[in-house]
Amino acid sequence: MKFKKVLFFCISALLLSFIGHAQNISITGRVTDETGLPVPGTTVTVKGTQTASMTDIDGNYQISAPSNATLVFTFIGYQNLEVAVNGRASLDARITSSSENLEEVVVVGYGTQKKSVVTGAISQVKGKDLEGQPVTRIEQTLQGRTSGVYVAANAGQPGSSATVRVRGITTLNNNDPLYVVDGIWVEQSAVQFINQYDIESVEVLKDASASVYGTRAANGVILITTKKGKAGKLTVSYNGFSGFSEESRRVGVLNATQYATLMNERSVNDGGGIIYADPASLGRGTDWQDVIFQNAFRESHDVNISGGTEASRFYASFSLVDQEGIVLPSISRYQRKTIRLNSDHKLSKYITFGQTATYSHEKNLGIGNTNSEFGGPLSSALNLDPLTPLVITDPAVAGQAPYGGANGQNGIFTNQQGQPYGISSLVTNEMANPLAYEASRQGNYGYADNLIGSAFLEIAPIDGLKLRTTAVGKLAYYGSQTFTPEYYFNNGPPGNNDINSLSRSTNTNFFWSVENTATYTKRFMDSHNVSVLLGQGAYVQEGEKGQTTTYRNLPIDSWQDASFNFDIPDPLDRLGSAYRGADKKTSSLFARLTYDYKERYLLQAFVRRDGSTQFGANNKFGNFPSVSAGWVPSKESFWPENNVVTQLKFRGSWGVSGNDQIGSFLYASIINGGYNYTYGSGSNTTIITGSTITTPPNPDLEWEETTKRNIAAEITLFRDLNLTIDLWKSKTTGILGTLPIPGYVGLSSPTANLGEVENKGIDFELGYRKTFGEVSVGLNGNISMFKNKVNTISPSLDFYTLAGVQSLVGEAQRVQVGHSVGAFYGYHHLGVFQNQAEIDAYVGADGSPIQPNAVPGDFKWKDVNADGQIDTDDREFLGKSLPSYTYGLSFNIEYKGFDLNVLGQGAAGNKIFNALRRLELSDSNFQTNALNRWSGEGTSNTYPRLTSEDPNGNFSRSSNFYLEDGDYFRIKTMQLGYSLPTDIIGKAGLTRARIYVMGENLFTFTKYTGFDPEIGGGNSVGIDRGYYPQARSYMLGVNLQF
Amino acid sequence: MYKSKILWSLAGLAMIAAACGEDFVTVEPKGSFFEENYYANEEQAFSGLVAVYDVLRKNSGGFENMITMLNAGSDDFFAGGGSSSDGNGIHGFDNFTINELTVPRSYFGDFYAGIARANILITKLPETNMDEAKKARFLAEARTLRAFYYFELVNLFGNIPLITAPVATADAYNIEQSTPEEVYAFIESELLASINDLPQTITANIELGRLSQGAAKSILGKAYLYQDKWAEAAAQFADVNGTPGTTSAYGYSLVSDFASLWSINNKFNSESILEVSHTNLSNAGWGNWGGGNDEGNSVNQMVGPRGLNFAAGHTIPTYVSGWSFNPVTLDLRNALLGDPRYEATIFDAPALLAAGELEATPDLPKGYDDADQDTGYFLKKFMPITSETSTGGGNAELNYRQNSYYIRLADTYLMEAEALMHTGNAGRAQQLLTAVRARVGLGAVPVTLEAIYNERRLELAGEGHRFFDLVRTGRTDVLVPYGFVKGKNEILPLPFQDISNTLLEQNPFY
Repeated sequence: MKFKKVLFFCISALLLSFIGHAQNISITGRVTDETGLPVPGTTVTVKGTQTASMTDIDGNYQISAPSNATLVFTFIGYQNLEVAVNGRASLDARITSSSENLEEVVVVGYGTQKKSVVTGAISQVKGKDLEGQPVTRIEQTLQGRTSGVYVAANAGQPGSSATVRVRGITTLNNNDPLYVVDGIWVEQSAVQFINQYDIESVEVLKDASASVYGTRAANGVILITTKKGKAGKLTVSYNGFSGFSEESRRVGVLNATQYATLMNERSVNDGGGIIYADPASLGRGTDWQDVIFQNAFRESHDVNISGGTEASRFYASFSLVDQEGIVLPSISRYQRKTIRLNSDHKLSKYITFGQTATYSHEKNLGIGNTNSEFGGPLSSALNLDPLTPLVITDPAVAGQAPYGGANGQNGIFTNQQGQPYGISSLVTNEMANPLAYEASRQGNYGYADNLIGSAFLEIAPIDGLKLRTTAVGKLAYYGSQTFTPEYYFNNGPPGNNDINSLSRSTNTNFFWSVENTATYTKRFMDSHNVSVLLGQGAYVQEGEKGQTTTYRNLPIDSWQDASFNFDIPDPLDRLGSAYRGADKKTSSLFARLTYDYKERYLLQAFVRRDGSTQFGANNKFGNFPSVSAGWVPSKESFWPENNVVTQLKFRGSWGVSGNDQIGSFLYASIINGGYNYTYGSGSNTTIITGSTITTPPNPDLEWEETTKRNIAAEITLFRDLNLTIDLWKSKTTGILGTLPIPGYVGLSSPTANLGEVENKGIDFELGYRKTFGEVSVGLNGNISMFKNKVNTISPSLDFYTLAGVQSLVGEAQRVQVGHSVGAFYGYHHLGVFQNQAEIDAYVGADGSPIQPNAVPGDFKWKDVNADGQIDTDDREFLGKSLPSYTYGLSFNIEYKGFDLNVLGQGAAGNKIFNALRRLELSDSNFQTNALNRWSGEGTSNTYPRLTSEDPNGNFSRSSNFYLEDGDYFRIKTMQLGYSLPTDIIGKAGLTRARIYVMGENLFTFTKYTGFDPEIGGGNSVGIDRGYYPQARSYMLGVNLQF
Repeated sequence: MYKSKILWSLAGLAMIAAACGEDFVTVEPKGSFFEENYYANEEQAFSGLVAVYDVLRKNSGGFENMITMLNAGSDDFFAGGGSSSDGNGIHGFDNFTINELTVPRSYFGDFYAGIARANILITKLPETNMDEAKKARFLAEARTLRAFYYFELVNLFGNIPLITAPVATADAYNIEQSTPEEVYAFIESELLASINDLPQTITANIELGRLSQGAAKSILGKAYLYQDKWAEAAAQFADVNGTPGTTSAYGYSLVSDFASLWSINNKFNSESILEVSHTNLSNAGWGNWGGGNDEGNSVNQMVGPRGLNFAAGHTIPTYVSGWSFNPVTLDLRNALLGDPRYEATIFDAPALLAAGELEATPDLPKGYDDADQDTGYFLKKFMPITSETSTGGGNAELNYRQNSYYIRLADTYLMEAEALMHTGNAGRAQQLLTAVRARVGLGAVPVTLEAIYNERRLELAGEGHRFFDLVRTGRTDVLVPYGFVKGKNEILPLPFQDISNTLLEQNPFY
């Protein structure tokens, strides 16, 4: 086919050279790629002639051609582009990469592979696609862009981590994937040091391809590769944006009039009197959400420099991210600065050396409690009554307790006019006036400094053999400084603090590893490609260590004056503590065989043996094998040449991987102190350390093993449409979990190899890219469905309970055999009794009423076991906490200098437990759905009568009353850019100048009534206690390149 | 040359591989011990014993303590607190809606934790290298504490498993319930076997808080009493009590000032038999609350009214505002009215407001912030004054240091008197009753069971005895108006999570 084309060109060129009469003119121009970068080495041919030229290092060319000629631009990996000259002397061209990305390379563990011969399920996100995107943490790059990966933000607090699940929930403990950044193993909680502009690519190993990382691979592996220098002219780029954020939605709560009306009604329902004589006179009252949500500023800057020679190349970058949160920005902010130097050098014909090095500094201001029923500004804003004024403006009130006067409290915060912030006497405990709370946390911050580096030395002594040693290190220093002034938030516990204190904590941890590999690659008889890898590694996470120092009773009141330099006289006011965790070490041996026959039949086998400190002598070592194979029919000789199915590959994999993410010494019977008792009296009073065993030992503790199976088809249709379908299944056995033991054993639950969890699902990925004239269009979509099921827990257990919600009776979630992990569990209401007749008619098998004590307006509870009464046995499963499917869709279009890209993402099939109202503080404000409460026959069948006594358990039972659909779809980002014409910017020495506007979280479609349907939360996902919602941001940015 | 390079590299690989063998992936714990090496000497054995004592603090430490819970279950106190759902367990026990989900697991599990700690210590002590006499004492203390924890459990839950040795994880779900009779038989035999190895009295100040023979005998007497073994009970109490009104052979005598029993400066007084220690020295914070290293008295924090607003120039001490748990019922208030013990027992907010000690404000019309089940009357025995508030680290709420009594002499006087009424020795019973009344300046009343019951209620009000007294004497009629169901609510339901998947059967009607 290709040959035919060439032949055609040659012949026509020959012919045309005789025909051509038009006047030759000199044409100059510049060739760039879709990102505006120059493409040196592009061949420029005058169509139909043998006249050709090539672009220089800046992408510039010069050619002589007839004024009516057509120029053809060709470059490997890019589509041929033909442009008519039409008499122009200057002609810029933009070439786009070929849709048949057969030569694309994918990073796999310990090396790279051509995409065409990959046999594992690996999703890739390219750094190029992230350019200019508002990414603060690496997890965000995966959301919506990769199939089979569920990503949900843990909080909208800038810099917060996300919950990432690769293909379901494989275990009942730590489900976080392993991150490997340039060979460095990093926990999910610590990957924030990466500057997104440094990312060359992110690969997600979803199936047995992850088994390469043995002990740590059960939850999938995310490989991050940073950029390398490019030889040639020095390139300097600047990327930056700035903008602002605002809250995208609020939770509807009652205003003062509504609140007073409902409180009156509740009091009457409970047999009391009217509390508020004239609710209407109270007006709207205080809207606490007005106070906490504020516009927040954000910006991001990156400068990177790349260059060098073929023998020695470097890439360096500097970046800055500064983002305020939308909740009380003065105490919610994230700042990060990074600096990176990557280089690689060819020392001799046989020896190559390379390194990466990064330093990052982060500073973090946090609002404290989020997603907690125990206070924090979000929870306070929803629960505080609307009657309490934000600020006490009446001097008479301000002059008496608690604000002032003889019984005035210490630690009352005031605004700049000296007026005290209002204190609720109705809603107390942890619920504090957000402005007072904000004032009490000024000057507090957390920080982290990371020093991360890797270096490799590669020796290629004979052709095909590579010996490589890689050493990596990651040193982290982090800590916090906190000043807690005297404060009086309210009269409940723990609403006040009489003694100020200043605290500083510093912590260190260090990870290092050494890996040695030998790879031998050989091609036999021009069709058999064989590669063998042997390797060994040692990985050490040194025990975290740190100390905290606290000084109390500082002779000052404000955080600005707080200092450790004060001479605090009483030694009891100078407190200190320190700790050192246990080392975690892994040692590994591994081997891989890769084989293909003409890239038609593909095979890969891998085996790894790991030893871990987390297990006792009985089970220190584990083996993790994997095998994968592929067949590419479209490369068979019998494959008919056609334009419909232009490429077809089938692949399958099987492999075992492990998980050792548990605490140290769980295999042993350990004696711990801290079970103390006090003896003596007066000055002899002494606390003596009591020591005992805490958990029963389990010497047989071993790895949990996840076996993953995957079959897939990769199809390219009409050359431009790529479709990948993966069917997968995984089964985890011997899950490491705490075996809940009954209280009569008297010890805490031991960790044991418990039951078995199964996941299965389908991932679809679709990619389309095509250029129509001057319009180029790209479309990517993915959708993943998965099901999760607990097969067994242990021989003695059918289920165990997960989190409950403060003051709600019974757990909200369970792990139970036959159900998905963390499914919601509780009572099931069947509507509201409208009248006594309905109560009387609701009878059991013996004809007696099931809920004889109910009154109209109470919930009718489902008698699940049909025993004629409602008790704890009448609870059932009420829905899933994990989505059944997640999906993402991105679209981009380019026309002339303009480009638009949109990323949408969503999840569906899960429920959210709305636990935003603090039940036990009975005067907490209600959400607006309470306006739809039952207040007489026919008024409501979904919201019961208001009562604080609540004898029917309408509110105090964990039930489907609190569950809402969690489905959502969100336009995650939208970006519109314009690249200035090169002839204009060229004069300023620029090779590229693009400006863009961008929005993040512009639209969210959901029925959920809380702040945000996207709620992560680790292993107990699905309970919304007041998540910090995702912000909506508007940004303006530029990309410049010199 | 190539060959030597390869060999060199392979040799290097082999060496590193060897270095990464079993030793490389073995680490030793720091700051804790492996069990097989522990309990080796006296210091370690004592530390193991202290962990058994630790559970005694259940009486008055932590939100889920015995005193406020048992008070709420009686007719003398409500649950109270911030709202009707501020503590589902305590409210459920107050109105007897408690069920297997709302019953706090700690009332079950904490005592069993003490039992487990005793079990391992008792198993290990024979091998400990230490003085034999001291070893015998340690063993007696561990066995006595274990017996006492079983006594608490059998009263709270009735039908419980009797576990007397460490449980292997594999057996955790294969344990059966014992009958109350079997548990009591164990308690009796353990105490009888231990008493003689305990010191007759505790003399060294630094040992105050450790068990003496008097304490063990009182527990044994109480165990007999609860089984209606009147003669055996009376015999044990007689040893402890001696001649009413004088100092007994074990050194016990009634203190003269009733109110001083609740002073933080009068710990381990002559009336104290089984006393629970608290201190502010642990600087407990919220993270420690109710755990092994929280040494504070939580009843102190819980029972005071919320938002007390003292008038300027008030004359009574400034009591600390609390969380208004255990408001006093009008039943008890009226029963105590006119009694000399009223002042030390009840904080009478309406009277204090009327006397101008408290001051009303528009926000606080009662001079304090009324909360759930407010009656105006609070349990003063445990209300601290501001000078007793800890100024050390941690949270002041969690660092009150008043000790509490499981058993004090007035209690054993009245228990002996009760037993004697059943054995027909009314004479000594009268002396015992009269001695208790005389201490607070009350004249003698003719001794009857009713009179003794009534004296117990007034003397021991708010100390957590009333509920068990009503149940064991079958006088639960007075609880019925509070929701008590006879034949069911005498014992608590076993916690759902502690019987799920086990051989245990739930208590009747739960």
